[in-house]
Amino acid sequence: MSLSAHQLSVGYHGQAIVKDMDLTLPDGRFIALLGPNGCGKSTLLKCFARILPAMSGEARWQGQNLHAYPSKQLSKELALLPQTQPIPEGIKVQDLVAYGRSPYTGFWGKLSQQDHQIVEQMMQQTGTYELKDKLVSELSGGQRQRVWLAMVLAQDTPYLLLDEPTTYMDINHQVELMHQLQRLNKQGKTIITVLHDINQAARYCDHLVVMKEGELKHQGSPDEVLTSAMLKEVFSLNAQIHRDPVAGTPMCVVED
Amino acid sequence: MNASRFFPLGLALLLILSIANLVFGAVSLSLEQVWQGLSVGSEQHFTVYEYRLPRIFLAILVGAGLALSGALVQGVIRNPLASPDVLGVSHGAGLAAVFYMTYFAGASTDWLPEVALAGGLVAALILWWLCGAQSSAIKLAITGVALAAFWASCIDFLMLTKPLEINNALLWLTGSLWGRGWTQLQALLPWFLLVPVALGLSKYLNLLDLGDDSATSLGVSPQVLRLVSLAIAVALTAACVSICGPIGFLGLVAPHLTRKLVGGRHQALLPATMLTGACLLLAADLAARTIDPPIELPAGILTAIIGAPYFLWLLLRMK
Amino acid sequence: MNTPIKSLSLGILLCMGLVLLSWWNLFAWSVVPVTGLDVWHAVTAFDSQVIAQRIVIDLRLPRLLTALLVGAALAAAGTIMQGLTRNPLAAPSVLGVNAGAALGMALVSTLPAFYGAFSTSIAAMLGGGLAWLLVMLLGSAWRMGGNDQGRLVLAGVAISALCAALTKAVVIMEEDQAAGVMTWLAGSLADARWQSWSTFWPVALVGLIGALLLTPALNLLQLGEDNARNLGINLLRSKLLGSLLVLILVGATISTVGSIGFVGLIVPHIARLLMGQDFRLFLPVAMLLGAGLVTLADTLSRAITYPMETPAGAILALIGAPFFIYLVRKRTL
Repeated sequence: MSLSAHQLSVGYHGQAIVKDMDLTLPDGRFIALLGPNGCGKSTLLKCFARILPAMSGEARWQGQNLHAYPSKQLSKELALLPQTQPIPEGIKVQDLVAYGRSPYTGFWGKLSQQDHQIVEQMMQQTGTYELKDKLVSELSGGQRQRVWLAMVLAQDTPYLLLDEPTTYMDINHQVELMHQLQRLNKQGKTIITVLHDINQAARYCDHLVVMKEGELKHQGSPDEVLTSAMLKEVFSLNAQIHRDPVAGTPMCVVED
Repeated sequence: MNASRFFPLGLALLLILSIANLVFGAVSLSLEQVWQGLSVGSEQHFTVYEYRLPRIFLAILVGAGLALSGALVQGVIRNPLASPDVLGVSHGAGLAAVFYMTYFAGASTDWLPEVALAGGLVAALILWWLCGAQSSAIKLAITGVALAAFWASCIDFLMLTKPLEINNALLWLTGSLWGRGWTQLQALLPWFLLVPVALGLSKYLNLLDLGDDSATSLGVSPQVLRLVSLAIAVALTAACVSICGPIGFLGLVAPHLTRKLVGGRHQALLPATMLTGACLLLAADLAARTIDPPIELPAGILTAIIGAPYFLWLLLRMK
Repeated sequence: MNTPIKSLSLGILLCMGLVLLSWWNLFAWSVVPVTGLDVWHAVTAFDSQVIAQRIVIDLRLPRLLTALLVGAALAAAGTIMQGLTRNPLAAPSVLGVNAGAALGMALVSTLPAFYGAFSTSIAAMLGGGLAWLLVMLLGSAWRMGGNDQGRLVLAGVAISALCAALTKAVVIMEEDQAAGVMTWLAGSLADARWQSWSTFWPVALVGLIGALLLTPALNLLQLGEDNARNLGINLLRSKLLGSLLVLILVGATISTVGSIGFVGLIVPHIARLLMGQDFRLFLPVAMLLGAGLVTLADTLSRAITYPMETPAGAILALIGAPFFIYLVRKRTL
């Protein structure tokens, strides 16, 4: 099983943002998509989540064209946590998490015993179980983000796509989320996330994909990818690479 | 209140209102008289069976239909100010029907629902064309209201320039249940085959609440769902409007009220909204007939008197 | 178009157009044939023996004068409202003043408890004032600008709907008086006579002069309330004065010819397009244009279903609603 792009172009209004990309994402890894604003990392993710169609070339899932793949089947294999979420009115936390089970339920959306179990388990895993009878609209921003994560986890997919999940979070919630994702990755889930913070990516992820102007520049482990030369090339930044004193991963420190 | 308590209470209220509608009116009957009136040959047979009973059924159907349309529209375009009447669909359907009645005076009224449906669809398309998909809630509502005003002024214009055909149209237009009977009920009933279809969309409408991106990743096509839901909403509205004329604000108020009571899950919300709408219209019609008998007010006036302040309140509350 | 000469020549041009339009209005589409020449004779050397001349003097002339003044009054009212709220979508008919005034009149003329309590024009002013007050209170609860302009309009629409529903209810319940109320709800000039004119013109004239005197304050208000206050404007006083003028103008027209919508919305925009943003210049032009628009609508009201009449208000609504949609469309709300 894997996610790949073949000569893939994606964009808006006929304007390609991702250009003729060839990329295969490895299975079972915690992958970060990096790059400057407008480099097409979110666009690529949206194409993999079939929110955007391919303009040319194709995105493939298990070797088949992803956009021609049966939609319901795919929703059991690929889940997406969008960058911003609407705040639905009159929906309880447990209802929202249960919506994640909809690819598995019948037409009326009735939950089976197993569905109930999974929903409960995911709420416990994300620390939202005690909120289950609250309305989503009453929660704080951090709580809401966790509830949405629980919903996406309830979708029970081997692959999880996240679009800048830490952007609007306080630092403590960011760390919490990255730990959570790391745990999920250890349990066997492949995680693909767009991130803004290079050091955060290097610290938690084990595979980095760097893009610039719609093209793939580098990919590999943090040690291979995060170099002064790459930062200069992609971000036009003079920076030194040091070791993170806690985790031992590479981190960049910007020069004057 | 949760759904398991809402439905028994709502049904009980519906029953009480229905009985009240049978009992009260220009002449008040006793329960006994009502009971006798149901059988042929009784003194009250006409009042009860030919006059009040079909009207009750109509109120239930029209109330439920308009409320369901409102819930579908609000669910699909995620705009708390939306409903078929605020968006001008009701008046568009109304204009088509008045046009048909004034210019094809001899034509059969059997086609009225279809004509109204065409009008409603055109009105919806024009709104879509004017606003596009990306409009803010306020802009969509203002454009809808302005279009509704325009359709209404076209209706006025038609009626003022064709005074001879006015009676027929005027009777129909007022948003009233007066004078409707079993025939209209028969005409309306087939359109309610759409109700199970709408209910079948519940699960998917839930996912639309999560935003288009999440809905897509859960295996739902937002565009298709939106199109189907809006089409059902327009069709139901047009069918109801073709029988009673535009009944204002019902489609706006009923879903909001119900969402407060049973929450936003569409499996509960949609049927509960229909119940609320039916109760509201029954109550409005009861009041309309009993405020100043024997004069009857159109029920649409009463729903507007309740609905307009509610709309204001929504506006105040909106961020 | 900012130099005085250009403004002046535009003004003269408009006045000439208005005179021509008026002349046309006096003779066109009459059931009894009236010619343009009859009009001339009636005005210069009136001969009461000639039927055509009597029609001009007894029926047409008061109607024309009313139309002119109604148009000017509504245009002025709309301009003031747009100035006070700094909302280009504001107008008496949009923000509920028309519907409120109609409700006031309906109450006074149908419910026995109110008989003779006030004259109908006072009732119209009170009703319109109440609606306007509600809209303004809601409006000041929100801060003016961007999104809230749209809200103000929706609030006006909701209040209009409420007033219209109540008016209908009152009218239906008191059927004896209903016929009169209904015709005037549609807004027609057909019943304008010298008698109604004599009570209408003094009130309207006061309102129009007041509006002209208010223009400097309106100009400063456009800079924003804080700036206007810094420049020495007494905000509350100007707002109250402006609102009062709106009510006088709208109340007087509604009690004379019924509810005529959209003139107050359309005309200020056209005038602004011609003259720029200075209220001192474009308010007079708006008055001229409003007078012309209503006169034109009145002329058409006789033409469309000749020999019968279509209320001018219905015709204006047909033009007005699309214009309103156009205004909404080109702005982000």
